[in-house]
Amino acid sequence: MISVQEAISRFRRDSTMSAVLKFALGAAALVALSLHFFPISKTIDPTWVLMGLGVVWVTLWIRTVKGSRMAAESSTLIASGRLDQAEVQIELSLRAFSMSKSVKSMSLLNLALIRLAQKRWADSALLCQEVLLAQRGPESIAKSSRLLLADALLELGDLRGAHEALSGLYNHRLTLGEALNLLRVQTDYLVRVEAWGHLVQGIETKVQMADLMPAGNSARTQALLALGAKKTGRADWASWLRRRVELLVDTTELAGERPILWELWRMEEPKPAEPGAGAAAGLAAGLAVGGTVAEVTDGAAGRAVTQSSDKAAGDPAAGDGAAGS
Amino acid sequence: MRGRAGTLVGSMDQPSHQFLDIARLLEASQPRPRQSWFWYGVAGFAFVILTSSWAAKGTQETQLIVRLLGFLVMLGLFVVMIVINMRSVKEQRAETQRIEAIEELVQLRKWDQAAMMLDGMLSRPTRTMGARLQALVYLASVLGRYHRFEDAIAVQDYLLEHAQFDPATGHGLRLMRAMALVHEDHLFDADKAISELRRENAESAGLALVEMYRDVRTGHPAEALDIFNTRLPQLRAQLGMRVADAYGLAARCHDLLSQEAEAAAAFAKATLLAPAVELFRRYPELAAMKDKYKATEAPKELSAMYSPAADHQGPASEILPGQARWT
Repeated sequence: MISVQEAISRFRRDSTMSAVLKFALGAAALVALSLHFFPISKTIDPTWVLMGLGVVWVTLWIRTVKGSRMAAESSTLIASGRLDQAEVQIELSLRAFSMSKSVKSMSLLNLALIRLAQKRWADSALLCQEVLLAQRGPESIAKSSRLLLADALLELGDLRGAHEALSGLYNHRLTLGEALNLLRVQTDYLVRVEAWGHLVQGIETKVQMADLMPAGNSARTQALLALGAKKTGRADWASWLRRRVELLVDTTELAGERPILWELWRMEEPKPAEPGAGAAAGLAAGLAVGGTVAEVTDGAAGRAVTQSSDKAAGDPAAGDGAAGS
Repeated sequence: MRGRAGTLVGSMDQPSHQFLDIARLLEASQPRPRQSWFWYGVAGFAFVILTSSWAAKGTQETQLIVRLLGFLVMLGLFVVMIVINMRSVKEQRAETQRIEAIEELVQLRKWDQAAMMLDGMLSRPTRTMGARLQALVYLASVLGRYHRFEDAIAVQDYLLEHAQFDPATGHGLRLMRAMALVHEDHLFDADKAISELRRENAESAGLALVEMYRDVRTGHPAEALDIFNTRLPQLRAQLGMRVADAYGLAARCHDLLSQEAEAAAAFAKATLLAPAVELFRRYPELAAMKDKYKATEAPKELSAMYSPAADHQGPASEILPGQARWT
C-alpha cells in the first residue's frame, strides 16, 4: 500500500520531471530546426535529429497513455466498490512515468477518494490539497478535489476549511453528479453550522436532487433536510422526509453516523416498520428516559456504522446498486 | 427542435417510425475509419531527406535554398500536426460533453430532450466506438421509457453481442433486457435471461425486482411477495429511491391476494418514495390500485409533481448500467 507522503513526493517528482522533459524536447526541436542555417547541418542532418526526437516523444506518450488507462481503470474499480484492486492500480499508475500532469492528478484524486472511504480523512485532505496546489489539469479534477476536500475537512471538524473549499465551487458550472455531491456536502455543512434557514431554502429542489443519489447519501441528505424542516417549524416536510428515510436505511446506523439526527426520532413512539427502521425510534424513546442520545450513539451504534460502511466499501455487490437503479 | 420535442411528447405511446429508427441509427452511427495522416507525415519527411541529399551535391546557393525550404517544410509539418491534433481533441471533447449531457438528461428523466440528442448524435458516425456504445446504452433506456420494448431489446442484444463491458455495466444491461422481455411477455426468453443473471449475481436487487415483476405479470403474487420479504434489505441498499418499485409491486401482490390492509400499507410506502403516476407508468399493472388505495400526500410544494395529472417521464426499464458514484 502506497503511503500518502510517498504518493505526494512521486507526484511532485514526476511533475517536475515531465515539465523539464517537455521543455528539453521542445528546445531540442527548435535547435534541430535552426541547424538548417548553420554549416553543421552538412554533418548532422536536422531531419534525422527531429525524427529521433519524434521517436522519443512518441515513446513517452505511449507510456503516458498506458498510465492514463490505469487511472481510468482505477476509477471504474472505485465505482464498483473494489477499493483494494483500485489501490493497486493507483500505485502502479503513480509509480509509472507520465508526461501528463492530469493523469497523475487523477490518480492522486482517486487515492484521496479511497482514503475517504477508509475514513482516513486527514490523508484524503492532504491528497486533495496537493492536487489543488498543482493548479493544472482539467477543471473537473479541480472541482472533484474541492468537493472531496470539503467532505474530508467536514469530517475533521474544520468548518472554515470546508467553507473555503465549497465557496471555490460556486464560480464553476457543475455537472449533475458534481451538483449532487455539492448538495450532499453543503447540507452536512449547513447542519454543522446550524444554518437551518439556508438549509431548507429551495427544499423541493433539494429533495428532487436527493432522489437521484445512491441510497445511503440520499437518506442522509433527506434526514438532514428533515432536521432543518423540523427546526424551522415545517412539520409537514419534517414528517414526510423522516418517513422516507425510514424506508431507505437503518435509522440507527444513520443516526450513529450523524448523532444530531437522533433529534428526528426523539419522543416518537416506536413503530413496527421495516427491519431496522423502527430500531432508531425505539432506542431514542428508551434514551429519553435513561440518558442523552449522543452518549450512546457515540459508542456501540457508531462502531456498528463503521463496520457496516467498511463492509459496504469492500463489497463488490455494492456496485450493483448503481447498476440496478 | 422544440416542435419535434412537442410532437414526441404528444405521441409518446405511438412515436413516429422516423424517430429513433433503430436500424438507421445502428447503421449510421458506426465510426467512420479516420484518414490517417501518419503516412503523409512520413512521406513529407522522406521528401525533405531526399531533397537534402540531392542538394548536398549541388552548389552553395542550391544548398542554402534547399536548407531554407527544408526548414519551412518541417515548420509547416509541425504546425499542421499541432492544428490537426488540437482539432481532434476539440471534437473528441465535444462528443464526450454530448454523452455527458445525454446521461444527465436520462438521470433527470427529461426523456424527450434525451431522445432528441440521441437521435442527432447517432444519425451520423461517432468519433469513437466508446461514445457510440454509451449512447446506445442510453438509447435503450429511452426506448424503454416510450414502451418500445422490442426496439430496446434489439439495441441491448446488439450491445451484448458486439461489445465487451465491465461486469457491473454488463449486468445492468442484462437487467434492462430482462425487464424489457417481461414487459413484452417473452416469458421463455425472460426466464432464460433471469437464470443467467442469477448465475452472474444472485444477490442483485435489480434481479429481485425483475423476478417480482415477472411473478406479478404471470399471476404468482405469493411468489413475488416471498422474494420481496426475503430480499428487502438488499432492495433497500441497492435500489435507493427505486425501492418504491418493489413496494408498489408488493402492494399489487397483496391486492391480488385480497389482503387489503397490507396492500394499502405497501401502496402508501411506494407513493411516499415515488409519485403514484410515475409508478403506474413504469408498471401498468399497478394502475388497478389507483382509486382503491390512498397515495401518501406530499408537502404542498411538491403536490404539482405528485398530482395524478403530472407528466412524470419515467421509463419502465430505467435501469442504467455503469453510473459513476461516490462512496
